[in-house]
Amino acid sequence: MRKFASLVVVVILSSLLMMTFLSLSTADYELSEHYINYGVEETKALNLVTAILFDYRAFDTLGEATVVFAVASTIAFLVPKRTASMISARFSIIMQQTTSLVIPFLFIIGAYIIAYGHISPGGGFAGGVILAVITILITVTFGIRYSDRQVRSRIKSFMESFGAMGFVLLGLLGMALGGNFLANANSHFNLGVPGDLISSGIIPHLNVMTGLKVAAGLSIMFNSLIKEE
Amino acid sequence: METTFLAIAVLFGLGLYIILTHQNLIKIAMGIGVMESAIILLFIIFSYRPGGTAPILDADAQAYDLIVDPIPQALSLTAIVIGAATTALMLALIIKIYNRYNTLYIDEIKKLKG
Repeated sequence: MRKFASLVVVVILSSLLMMTFLSLSTADYELSEHYINYGVEETKALNLVTAILFDYRAFDTLGEATVVFAVASTIAFLVPKRTASMISARFSIIMQQTTSLVIPFLFIIGAYIIAYGHISPGGGFAGGVILAVITILITVTFGIRYSDRQVRSRIKSFMESFGAMGFVLLGLLGMALGGNFLANANSHFNLGVPGDLISSGIIPHLNVMTGLKVAAGLSIMFNSLIKEE
Repeated sequence: METTFLAIAVLFGLGLYIILTHQNLIKIAMGIGVMESAIILLFIIFSYRPGGTAPILDADAQAYDLIVDPIPQALSLTAIVIGAATTALMLALIIKIYNRYNTLYIDEIKKLKG
C-alpha cells in the first residue's frame, strides 16, 4: 500500500517536472554573455568559473566555505573522541610501500591545482580534496593512530581556522583599500597580465585559503567518521 | 535534449521513491545522493551549448566562437561541495542513531522510542 502510494506521488511529480522542462522558453543569456566577453578583461583570470566563484560571487563562496567549516566542527563534536580504529585489517608491505610512494606526487598535484586555479581547470575546492585524499590514504593504509600522529589534529584545526580567517581578512583588505567586501578590481590592486601565475589580484590567494580549508575540513570529517567507541 | 530531461526526471523520481519507501537509513542517504545527481545533471544541461568550448579562455577572448555558460558550472561546484558536506553530516548522525538504538530501520527505532 505504502509502495503504491509513493509510486503514484513519484510519477505525478516526475511528469510535472518533465512538463516544466518541456515548456521552458530559451533562457536569457545576458549575464553569461557579459562574463564571457568581459570576464578576462575585468578579473585577469583565464578560468571563467574561478573568476565567477572568487570574484563576481566571492561572497557566495564564503558562505559555501562556512558550510564546510560548520559541518567539520559538528562532526568532530558529534562522533566519540576515543581512538579505537574501525579498520583493523593489516595490509601487506606492497600496499604500504606503494602508498608512501604515491603520497609526494599527490601533494604536488594538489598544490599545482590550487596554485594554477585561475589559469587552468581546478581551483581551491578540487585541489583541497586531493590534499585531503593524502590523509585519508594514510588512515586507510596505516591505521588511524599513525595518521593522527603524522598529521596532528591541532595542525588540521589550525589550518582550517587559518583558511577561514584568511578568506575574511582578504575580503576586509578590499574594504580597507576603498572597494566593497571581497572587491578585486575595484580596490585598485595591480591585476597583472592574464596568464601569469601571480596575476588577477586576490583570486589566487583566495584559492590557497579555500584549498587549505577544504583539505583540513575533509580530513577532519573522515578521521572523525572512522572512529568508534 | 528531451531524452536528457527525461533522464533527469526519472533520476529525481527514483531518488524520491527510495526516500519514501525504504526503511534503512543508509539507503535513504543514498536516495538523497541520487536526487542531488539529478540536480547537477540539470545544471550541466542548462550550461551546454552545442559546439561550445570550455570556459577557460586565452588572453584574447574573441578567439572563440562559442563558449558554454560558466554560471551553472560555478553553481554546480557549490552544489557538489554542499552535497558532500551534508552527506558526511547525515552519515555521522546515522552512526549516532545506530550507537543508541542498535538498528538502522526506522520502524524499529519508532518502536524503541515508544
